[in-house]
Amino acid sequence: MAAASCMLNVEISQVLRCGMVEVKNDGEADSGRGSGKWTVPTGRRTDEWSECLVLIGKSNDRASFTRFFRHFAPLIKAFALAGSSMSAAHADELVQEVMLKVWQKASGFNPEKAAASTWIYTIARNCRTDMFRRLQKFDTPLAADDLNIELEGEEPFTVLHTRRGSDRIKDLMGQLPPDQAQILAKVYMEGKSHSEAAAELDLPLGTVKSRVRLAIQKLQVQMDRQ
Amino acid sequence: MAKHHPSNDLLMEHAAGSLPVAQAACVAAHLSYCERCRRIDSQLRTLGGAMLERLEPVSVSEALLDNVLARLEDPAPLSYSDQTKGTELPGLLERLINKDFSQLVWKRVTRALSVSYLSTGDTNHEFALLRIAEGGRIPEHTHGGNEMTLVLEGGFSDGRDSYHPGDFIFRSSEDKHAPVALDGEDCICLTVLDAPLRFTSWQHRWLNPFLKLRAS
Repeated sequence: MAAASCMLNVEISQVLRCGMVEVKNDGEADSGRGSGKWTVPTGRRTDEWSECLVLIGKSNDRASFTRFFRHFAPLIKAFALAGSSMSAAHADELVQEVMLKVWQKASGFNPEKAAASTWIYTIARNCRTDMFRRLQKFDTPLAADDLNIELEGEEPFTVLHTRRGSDRIKDLMGQLPPDQAQILAKVYMEGKSHSEAAAELDLPLGTVKSRVRLAIQKLQVQMDRQ
Repeated sequence: MAKHHPSNDLLMEHAAGSLPVAQAACVAAHLSYCERCRRIDSQLRTLGGAMLERLEPVSVSEALLDNVLARLEDPAPLSYSDQTKGTELPGLLERLINKDFSQLVWKRVTRALSVSYLSTGDTNHEFALLRIAEGGRIPEHTHGGNEMTLVLEGGFSDGRDSYHPGDFIFRSSEDKHAPVALDGEDCICLTVLDAPLRFTSWQHRWLNPFLKLRAS
């Protein structure tokens, strides 16, 4: 418990420090955008795929789109097939749908707000949910997109943290113990509820929940700062 | 600013896309009121993105790429997702109720309580708006299952705490409560139930056989 709150404190002070630097950087990024090109402000890790998305959104750049497709389409297909009974044909259909959405929505992608992987994960998750519902002839007036509430532009503090968090989470993910990584994969990639994951792994629900909690702590995702 | 939030487990299941649509709609409606939970949701989706990038890629044919490239100029389908945030009614709810509470059909349950059932397509969860007259009380009850509540207008108190617009309350089957609407205006809440409620007081128990889950 003490360790957790200590980690939280370090975390907050990191954000505060980054926050101060960021104000200046945001200014630079803005002037970059104004002159028609998107520059990566100094001190940030470059995200190749974010730049790629910006190019697609700004100039309908097919070459960038093709590059983006070659990287992400095989991952989306893996996501479609993860733990589900989706056929390869439906998985291909999902890949097409997601990639067309990428093309249509790229102009709304803001590299200041989210990492490319977060952005495309959200699209893929929504398309997969809608596709499952279609396949099950489940009729609802609500598309998965309707239930996705994005962060607002006026929350720069948050947003900054989120974007940086992406690199950090990716790094930390490799260090998770297998039992925790396995449960996160069930929940996220296979779309299982905590109780479904518990049933499939033949574990008590409490064990699943505590592994999720430990993983979240290790990944330094801030669940609660009240 | 909302003071009562969904549990971390619920937020994660929402971010992972595994909640049934009625529950997902209730959590999403809370997110549209609550900056704290939007922030957590965004981090949880970031986690999803990181996991996506670590999957073992499954090869995709060149024909599929060609197919997509050929369709790039197809017109994009219409989208409704311009969500309103802050104190206004969440956009997704506006879509379900056609803009206005006054257009809804309200069914009277007790003198202080009316219900309007909405259809989400989720047949395991009742998705309804409750209207409690100002100062009115819902007789003490339990649930056969779980109940999500999101305050949309007015407010209520249950003896433990008081709840205002944007507040999200999750009650399991063991919780017994008797909410009382705050004075000043009617309280309108969104509730999602997976089992009908059960009145516990002798004066109201006779209603129980009539309380069925209206999920559609």
